Amino acid sequence: MQDAENVAAPEAAEQRSQSHVDRPTPAAGEAPAGQARDAASETGSEGSGGEPGGAAENGGADEPSFSDPEDFVEDVSEEELLGDVLRDRPQEADGIDPVIVVDSVPQVGPDRLEKLRNVIHKIFSKFGKITNDFYPEEDGRTKGYIFLEYASAAHALDAVKNADGYKLDKQHTFRVNLVTDFDRYMTISDEWDIPEKQPFKDLGNLRYWLEEAECRDQYSVIFESGDRTSIFWNDVKDPVSIEERARWTETYVRWSPKGTYLATFHQRGIALWGGEKFKQIQRFSHQGVQLIDFSPCERYLVTFSPLMDTQDDPQAIIIWDILTGQKKRGFHCESSAHWPIFKWSHDGKFFARMTLDTLSIYETPSMGLLDKKSLKISGIKDFSWSPGGNIIAFWVPEDKDIPARVTLMQLPTRQEIRVRNLFNVVDCKLHWQKNGDYLCVKVDRTPKGTQGVVTNFEIFRMREKQVPVDVVEMKETIIAFAWEPNGSKFAVLHGEAPRISVSFYHVKNNGKIELIKMFDKQQANTIFWSPQGQFVVLAGLRSMNGALAFVDTSDCTVMNIAEHYMASDVEWDPTGRYVVTSVSWWSHKVDNAYWLWTFQGRLLQKNSKDRFCQLLWRPRPPTLLSQDQVKQIKKDLKKYSKIFEQKDRLSQSKASKELVERRRTMMEDFRKYRKMAQELYMEQKNARLELRGGVDTDELDSNVDDWEEETIEFFVTEEIIPLGNQE
Amino acid sequence: MKPILLQGHERSITQIKYNREGDLLFTVAKDPIVNVWYSVNGERLGTYMGHTGAVWCVDADWDTKHVLTGSADNSCRLWDCETGKQLALLKTNSAVRTCGFDFGGNIIMFSTDKQMGYQCFVSFFDLRDPSQIDNNEPYMKIPCNDSKITSAVWGPLGECIIAGHEGGELNQYSAKSGEVLVTVKEHSRQINDIQLSRDMTMFVTASKDNTAKLFDSTTLEHQKTFRTERPVNSAALSPNYDHVVLGGGQEAMDVTTTSTRIGKFEARFFHLAFEEEFGRVKGHFGPINSVAFHPDGKSYSSGGEDGYVRIHYFDPQYFEFEFEA
Repeated sequence: MQDAENVAAPEAAEQRSQSHVDRPTPAAGEAPAGQARDAASETGSEGSGGEPGGAAENGGADEPSFSDPEDFVEDVSEEELLGDVLRDRPQEADGIDPVIVVDSVPQVGPDRLEKLRNVIHKIFSKFGKITNDFYPEEDGRTKGYIFLEYASAAHALDAVKNADGYKLDKQHTFRVNLVTDFDRYMTISDEWDIPEKQPFKDLGNLRYWLEEAECRDQYSVIFESGDRTSIFWNDVKDPVSIEERARWTETYVRWSPKGTYLATFHQRGIALWGGEKFKQIQRFSHQGVQLIDFSPCERYLVTFSPLMDTQDDPQAIIIWDILTGQKKRGFHCESSAHWPIFKWSHDGKFFARMTLDTLSIYETPSMGLLDKKSLKISGIKDFSWSPGGNIIAFWVPEDKDIPARVTLMQLPTRQEIRVRNLFNVVDCKLHWQKNGDYLCVKVDRTPKGTQGVVTNFEIFRMREKQVPVDVVEMKETIIAFAWEPNGSKFAVLHGEAPRISVSFYHVKNNGKIELIKMFDKQQANTIFWSPQGQFVVLAGLRSMNGALAFVDTSDCTVMNIAEHYMASDVEWDPTGRYVVTSVSWWSHKVDNAYWLWTFQGRLLQKNSKDRFCQLLWRPRPPTLLSQDQVKQIKKDLKKYSKIFEQKDRLSQSKASKELVERRRTMMEDFRKYRKMAQELYMEQKNARLELRGGVDTDELDSNVDDWEEETIEFFVTEEIIPLGNQE
Repeated sequence: MKPILLQGHERSITQIKYNREGDLLFTVAKDPIVNVWYSVNGERLGTYMGHTGAVWCVDADWDTKHVLTGSADNSCRLWDCETGKQLALLKTNSAVRTCGFDFGGNIIMFSTDKQMGYQCFVSFFDLRDPSQIDNNEPYMKIPCNDSKITSAVWGPLGECIIAGHEGGELNQYSAKSGEVLVTVKEHSRQINDIQLSRDMTMFVTASKDNTAKLFDSTTLEHQKTFRTERPVNSAALSPNYDHVVLGGGQEAMDVTTTSTRIGKFEARFFHLAFEEEFGRVKGHFGPINSVAFHPDGKSYSSGGEDGYVRIHYFDPQYFEFEFEA
């Protein structure tokens, strides 16, 4: 059995009497010190020439004694005597700084020692010239650790940094340390000092906004081309400003997934704000940060900066602990993949990234690789976490005769719960329904014998046994696809402009997928479902001039057709009561504004802001009510709606009263001003008469007597235009 | 009602003005023609020929005897209204931007552009003293160093002039001494137009900062603000209602980059006291450069970048409309 392995890895042969397994780092102190002693004694025993002192003691009679008399005092200085030798004596700098000790080296007999030396040399000479090496032996076999000396201490340091943890083979992972470190670790006190208790910082109630009596939502607005940022309460009448700051952020802002924090971007890093007064809660220093991503649990923050990445200190992507503000781990960013590079599982327990042929899954809070190894998936193109469980979906394209494959994998068990093979695949897109109930894989195919691309929607029913898959095929170009967030419907925009249609499908429990409705001649390129489902806004953004269609998918009626000219964004509020359309200065330079609509498409407000850039609703954490409670509330809706209607009426009449009242005071003030002005005017009447030679011109007909009658004939042509076709 | 379209210019309209009685409408444009029309039917009465460049401004005196025009051909000209004869030619060093007769019709003022190394000046001539005209020697010349005058009118009784500047400032200059009596800055950008109310106690300014504002003409105290989304080129006060009409739109240089739908080239009506918009009139397919109310308040006219002047008679609903208050 061993023979087979030996062929593959000669070094592995030395594992037979493996007793010297991975030693802990020298922090333990004990073992390395022992090694050092061993090394010293062995150096001694190696000397084969016997002890120099012995010659004098055993000196034969025929040898004259060169020993000094006991009371001899040297009168020649050492410098005179052997100056040439002393010049070469070791300097302090030539000490043990450049020496490293490598643990967990295979133990070999003399027959394989040369081979081992070659291997070691190959690995370690990468960091600098090795001037000396030493392989301690015992019973004719090496002891499993070695000493290497470099030409300079810098090389040694380099070796420690890069070769520590080097995996020679399955059994041997090098532990590399500086010999000088032994001293350092030896002096560590055995007593443990209890860390000083950090004072508790009371940040107030970070979720105070959820306690608002009217259940209003907040949103952030960036305007004046990014110079000013405001937070508003959304209100049916007028937005109520909560906070406005100049230069709050240098680029844009982001809310955390549950709405607790507002993140602002700065050249030097990210700042998080929250609480009632939007005080600064945390700062993360990351020079040149461009992109961020929160873990869904709001515990970690991932930041990306294109600057500052170095070979041995990964800083391109940093994962931070939001509560402590500490850096948890840095990563390199080799691939220019789409942000977020790291995708989080729904509970924030895992995060994963994809590199060439590899899927690396990390776990929190250790930030280490799950089971210490990545998944080898050759050709992996894309992956995605289920929002409803720790399941990862990924796909690999066709490779010669092997079909393309979509795999669903349970984690952390790595059990493949469903694999689906697909043929003639051009591209796949993974779309999860928000609860993780369904996965839709949009497959673009070029079936044999047909021209052009056919799109298949492969619907995986995640909650059913063995994950059955249904297929919906479409021959037209697909413009957009979107799942209903809390439901089993999905919408597809398809066709070529100007003949674009929207289709609504329902994934039924009886194993069928039903086309509920298709509307043709749509002006739309994007689908925006209400976060509560049922209602949807089909928007023709940018090039389609901002056409909007509000659709109720329960009975598939178009509730309203409207337009927000040149709209670039559509944002539903987290409750699905309101929707905002906006023209951002980032995409269009005039008419920058955001409009507020009800979910039915009734326009409530037009808010123009100078160089308005971005509006983001503050997310809400998931409801604490159980499914049954939600059902109950829906059942009792009539009871509640009465109260709300009453409230609305009250506030409306109050509003109109206020408006009338405001107008009245304005009118009064204006009348007062006019009265004053007119009094002055009357006073000046004589001056006016004087200036115009006694002619009163105050009124158009005030000097009728001076008028001269003049008859002017005008040619007026009359034209009769029939109106409409009367048949 | 269908508007009357006046097609008498080949270039964009720069200013339109009714005479005091309102029977005549004077229009000037970026072509050298000065037109006068019957306001009742839009028939052209005649032209005043002589200018060789764009005409920026026009004014008629109170008894409609004289007409004053200022042009980019570096001249200000006085015409006999009835015969069209040129009575005076006042040469200047730079383009004439604004001009006007005082209340009595005896003194004229005009302002010149800061241009080709010349400063912005306001010049005053007394028409009763022919030597001033003959020698082209104004009795007073106010230099204006900071920010050039883009719009100016005579104050009540001809005691002062009110000038709006490129930077949005408003100055009241004494017509006797030339000193600055009052200065305010309520606009953030260029003031394109100033028009007095019929009784001259207040005036409305139109600015590039997308607003029009109402001021008291004696104190220059700011009274009201009317907001739009586009630069306002001109604003006029109704003689008998608390209404103001605003004309403007996307700046001419930006028009090609946007469609007419969002250029917002409509004339917009606001209530003077409530600052609320209550009506719009579409028609021009370029920005409106000048608006004017007929002195009887029953019609208004607008002149646009498209080169047309439109006379609009109000529908009966306009007179019936009232705000709930």
